[in-house]
Amino acid sequence: MSDPVPVTTLPPAVVVDRLTRNFGTFTAVDQVSFNVSPGEIFGFLGANGAGKTTTIRMLCGLLLPTSGNATVHGNDIYTQPNRIKACIGYMSQRFSLYEDLTVRENIQFYGGIYGLRRETIMQKTTELLQELDLVDKADQLTGALPLGWKQRLALSTSLLHDPPLLFLDEPTSGVDPQSRRRFWLLIHRLAAEGKTIFVTTHYMDEAEYCHRISIMAQGRLVELDTPSALRDKYDCDTMQEVFLRTVSGSPSL
Amino acid sequence: MRRVFYLVQKEFRQIRREKAYIAIIFLMPFVQLVILGYAITTDVRNVGVVVVDQDHSRYSRAILASLETGETFQLLGTVPTERAARRLLDRGKAVVAVIVPHGFGQNLLRGEQPALQLLLDGVDGNSSGVALGYLQGLLAGLQLEWVREVPELARQIQSIHLIVPEPRLWYNENLVSVNHIVPGILAVLLTMITLFLTAMNIVREREIGTMEQLQVTPIRGWELILGKVLPFVLLGFLLLNVGILAVQLIFAIPMQGSLLLLYLMSLLFMLSTLGLGILISTLAHTQQQAMFIAWFFSIFTILLSGFFIPIENMPDVIQYLTYSNPLRYFMTVIRAIYQKGSELPVLLDEVAGMALIAGITISTAVIRLRKRNV
Ligand SMILES: Nc1ncnc2c1ncn2[C@@H]1O[C@H](COP(=O)(O)OP(=O)(O)O)[C@@H](O)[C@H]1O
Ligand SMILES: [Mg+2]
Repeated sequence: MSDPVPVTTLPPAVVVDRLTRNFGTFTAVDQVSFNVSPGEIFGFLGANGAGKTTTIRMLCGLLLPTSGNATVHGNDIYTQPNRIKACIGYMSQRFSLYEDLTVRENIQFYGGIYGLRRETIMQKTTELLQELDLVDKADQLTGALPLGWKQRLALSTSLLHDPPLLFLDEPTSGVDPQSRRRFWLLIHRLAAEGKTIFVTTHYMDEAEYCHRISIMAQGRLVELDTPSALRDKYDCDTMQEVFLRTVSGSPSL
Repeated sequence: MRRVFYLVQKEFRQIRREKAYIAIIFLMPFVQLVILGYAITTDVRNVGVVVVDQDHSRYSRAILASLETGETFQLLGTVPTERAARRLLDRGKAVVAVIVPHGFGQNLLRGEQPALQLLLDGVDGNSSGVALGYLQGLLAGLQLEWVREVPELARQIQSIHLIVPEPRLWYNENLVSVNHIVPGILAVLLTMITLFLTAMNIVREREIGTMEQLQVTPIRGWELILGKVLPFVLLGFLLLNVGILAVQLIFAIPMQGSLLLLYLMSLLFMLSTLGLGILISTLAHTQQQAMFIAWFFSIFTILLSGFFIPIENMPDVIQYLTYSNPLRYFMTVIRAIYQKGSELPVLLDEVAGMALIAGITISTAVIRLRKRNV
């Protein structure tokens, strides 16, 4: 799973410039800047409370920044949140499908909310159920599915409107290793189709699957590069070690 | 608009799976009406009475006759002995026994003020107390007639200028408080349900994270609100109709006015309480908090609605406060439609009040829901 970083001349999918968010006197995200290229799998690593979710929520138009700027697909997060919403898929760190709806009803509902036509919804539903191997569970309550399946279903529903950019917030947390692998296969297929993927995780082994990785600690971006460049830089064999070195505050280089 | 359809469809699918909703809609009106209706109302109907007539005089027959008229008492018949009467009381067949002792009529004529023994079932102290009151009123009426027949008293009476006030309450002629209280209970029910269900529903979506998921879709604030308001308005209507049916079945209170008018007014009223419910949901972070705030609001709306305490009896400051209470208007409306058969033209003030509150709460709710957490 070591695809090369897509080389592209297209404008960046996400541009973040000194983005900051305070909660009271506490700074959750502190002057963070980075770009995400189209078609890239951009990994956001960090311990709990590092500020990953807060960053994503600002980029999705759910939370106003305290200062700084950002554009998502060329749309300003302050002034064009509605245009951003049309071109992103978002999977929050909490499972956010309705557990008291069936699998089919969830797909129908989100399809409808994204404004798909009835026939498109029907067609997408059939496709998705087959793809996810959920055909015989289509009319079961979503709450009864195993977690790994739920996560893949959530990912698929966030893709119903075919957005070019996906924000995935800890999509694999709590899922068994086998399911995590299947999930990442799905992510790579999506990237191969040309989608940009912005994914946060606290599993260091998953970092290897990303084209580029940024490491966040206490609201700051402490590293940003390809996994191999980071391993070289810190002279480590695994991302786990790289991560420990970065967050333990040892000077970079 | 199509998005609203999907929101409503989703809401109904969830409601259908939630047994508590079904219980709330179909059982709560009956339970509440029975409990509140009987606990609050002070009038008593069809109290079973037996008479032990040991006198067999014109007077004892007059007592029997007056017990037979009116709806308060249901004359079960006469029994020969006090012991037989006690048995009926013990077995719960009768609630009151009136014992007219031997020689009652004669003693009465002699001005000896004979005793009339009343036995009351004390199990339901409240309503037997009320029954006693009715009985005393009834006997007082008889005494007024009989007093002229007692020669000694008749003379005294002539020197007394007796004023006989004749109270007539225009609506609700028999001062049947049930007719006043019961439509009020319907209004209270509708308030509680709409307020609690919307507030809890939206906070629940926030708690499980689906609200955030909805907020990253291109859905508009007003679509989201409409998608929440519509299902609960429909649920409210269902509840209202079950309530109207329950009122009919349990209390046999007829609605004097137009059902259609009541529907329209209920719609307006529900818009204001649903708006309030959504506002509450924006103040609360957890369902418990939502519950608490909704509870707080509903206590105030109910206390300041004129449901128990007439608004005219409240201090001036409080009276002004009641103008901000949607239930104040709806309480007037539902009672007027039920009891007086009022038409729209006399209810325009209430329409204006509810419309204003609905407008304010709903537009504030749209703004607050649309706003990103700052
Ligand atoms: N709404 C909020 N109010 C106050 N503090 C918050 C809020 N959201 C997040 N935080 C704080 O900001 C910090 C970063 O949180 P978050 O972005 O969720 O971290 P991560 O996703 O990396 O685990 C945490 O310390 C968290 O407690
Ligand atoms: Mg997080």
